[in-house]
Amino acid sequence: MKDFLKELIEIPGVSGYEAEIAGYIANEFRQHCDEVVTDPFYNVYGIKRGAGDKSNPKVMLAAHMDEIALMVKDIDKSGFLRFTNIGGVDQRILLAQEVIVHGRDKLTGIVAVMPPHLLSPEDASRAIEMKDMYIDLGLPCERVKELVQVGDLITFKSPLVSMLGSFVNGKSIDDRAGVVILNEVMKELDKLVYQAEVCCVATVQEEVGTRGAIISTYRAEPDIGIAIDVTHGDTPDASKDDTYAMDKGIVVCKGPNMHPGLTERFLEIAREYRMDCQVAVSPRPTGTDARSMQISRAGVPTILVEIPLRYMHTTVETLNLDHIKSAARLIALFIASLKEGWQEWLRY
Amino acid sequence: MKRLLELLTGTYGPSGSEEDIREVIEKEVREYADEVYTDALGSLIAVKKGKGRKVMLAAHMDQIGLIVTGIDDNGFLRFSNVGGISPFNVIHRKVRFQNGVTGVVSYETELEDIRNLKLGKMYIDIGAKSKDEAKALVNIGDVAVYDAPMAVCGDRVTGCAMDDRAGCAVLVETLKRVRNTDHELYFVFTVQEEVGLRGARTSAYGIMPDIGISVDVTLTGDTPKSRPMAINLGEGPAIKVKDASVIAHPKVKELMIQRAREAGIPYQLEVLEAGGTDSGAIHLTGAGVPSGVISIPCRYVHSAQEMVDLKDLTQAVELLVTILEKEIEI
Repeated sequence: MKDFLKELIEIPGVSGYEAEIAGYIANEFRQHCDEVVTDPFYNVYGIKRGAGDKSNPKVMLAAHMDEIALMVKDIDKSGFLRFTNIGGVDQRILLAQEVIVHGRDKLTGIVAVMPPHLLSPEDASRAIEMKDMYIDLGLPCERVKELVQVGDLITFKSPLVSMLGSFVNGKSIDDRAGVVILNEVMKELDKLVYQAEVCCVATVQEEVGTRGAIISTYRAEPDIGIAIDVTHGDTPDASKDDTYAMDKGIVVCKGPNMHPGLTERFLEIAREYRMDCQVAVSPRPTGTDARSMQISRAGVPTILVEIPLRYMHTTVETLNLDHIKSAARLIALFIASLKEGWQEWLRY
Repeated sequence: MKRLLELLTGTYGPSGSEEDIREVIEKEVREYADEVYTDALGSLIAVKKGKGRKVMLAAHMDQIGLIVTGIDDNGFLRFSNVGGISPFNVIHRKVRFQNGVTGVVSYETELEDIRNLKLGKMYIDIGAKSKDEAKALVNIGDVAVYDAPMAVCGDRVTGCAMDDRAGCAVLVETLKRVRNTDHELYFVFTVQEEVGLRGARTSAYGIMPDIGISVDVTLTGDTPKSRPMAINLGEGPAIKVKDASVIAHPKVKELMIQRAREAGIPYQLEVLEAGGTDSGAIHLTGAGVPSGVISIPCRYVHSAQEMVDLKDLTQAVELLVTILEKEIEI
């Protein structure tokens, strides 16, 4: 499981450019399900058919494979790259980062930073904005122009690091951890008897507006949706109301974006198996695939399962691996509990 | 091209009131299409039948405008925006309503700092001396557009609504020129792009194309001390990489680049940081439609004097024709 996460993190999969990582995920899924489909946008669907007949629900699970990144928008006269963001990149963490520019070759670049010695007192106390930053490839301008063009991708370099205990950190654990959960759910389901048809979708373009979920939910046409994503782990400086403990179980989100009866049922299953769950509340459509799954076609009752993650959208996103296991186990148990009469839970 | 662009930019058609511009475009395309129809929201669709890929080409025919929200006792009109109207772009501009009534836009001069100017502090003066006089000419809900006939500056032209009548002109010319194609082509002149890509969303659902290509204007980075952007006026049509509404499908983008290279058509690659276009709605239709965008470089977008280079438009037509006359394998 940890190995899969480690490998996933090292494969670039920028929103809109997921072909490579999709191929890798499809290969892994293939070992644990009946059929794998990849659509023209590289959403990957791993389908597992349970023992039930057509009256049993089709359940779609979604976790996004794409990652936030940067993109070349201009090359200046001295060969430095100007760039923009794809998805919610935090400009505060960019200075002095080592990046990979995906030009004709993979090039190592540095987000340039002015030495403190050269800063005026005012500038030293001021945060620099992304629009004023450059990437240095250490190459002469002519060479840069041969190797790089406007629109080339720039990804971060930050492999998975194991910390003491079960914590790991690295880039794009949001939401590659969710993709690992999809894979683990498939393995867990093999240990259980279940009736549903389960469609595990590794989605694309979530970070730019849950776009992969919009089209993949339309294609999968599920009866029930389960989105899997990360939420904020607790840190000393953040409000307790907006963050969740890193060791008290997975997080189940409540609010108008989620189906109340189905969410309650999920929490009941957790209680039944004595598994810890934290409850989050989102008064608005969530910033996850659940947002789009819920309003696909004629509507899809959706629940949202989240894993606490510290330092979201940085290169040191930190997560407790135990949560991957427990999320997969609980989701699989929930799916196995969907038997005849499952429609009752959807009644308002 | 020049005549067509002048005709299109001079015709009234803000988002939601596209009747006049639709009629003008319909006349232009009728004899070149196998079928022409208007969908439920008002988008105009000209079809060229074929057996190959179903390709939707979209350019929006709506333009931004000023919608009347109130008429005061002295006959001044208060207004709100239809689409992206900046207060600074409309100060002392001449505007025109559908019935031909014209007015000038001004603001409350007791305002101390012009930076605080908002549309709520502005009004349209149509020369009326009283509320009744104004009401005889204009109703609440009527929409005015810039009244700025196209002017020629060398190879370049300025005027209002180049966004996106320039795209409409490119589509009309492409329809006229494309011949040897097996593909089924839907030339869609969409409504309500400026208020959220609405016409494209519904017309794409109605068509369910295999591929989507929209044609719209984009910004440039070639004016004095402008924000860095690698797009220059007159250096060829732009092939979009991304904007805020869509990341062009890599295979559609690559196909455009390949066709441009084969035909020796100059092109630029576009990374637009803010703003979107019809492909943003088209690509998320149904189970997804691989989509791209050909952009026309344009200075001063959303002002009354948007500037484009006619060469960029004719080269965009050439690029579209070569794409449509060859194999489209995605």
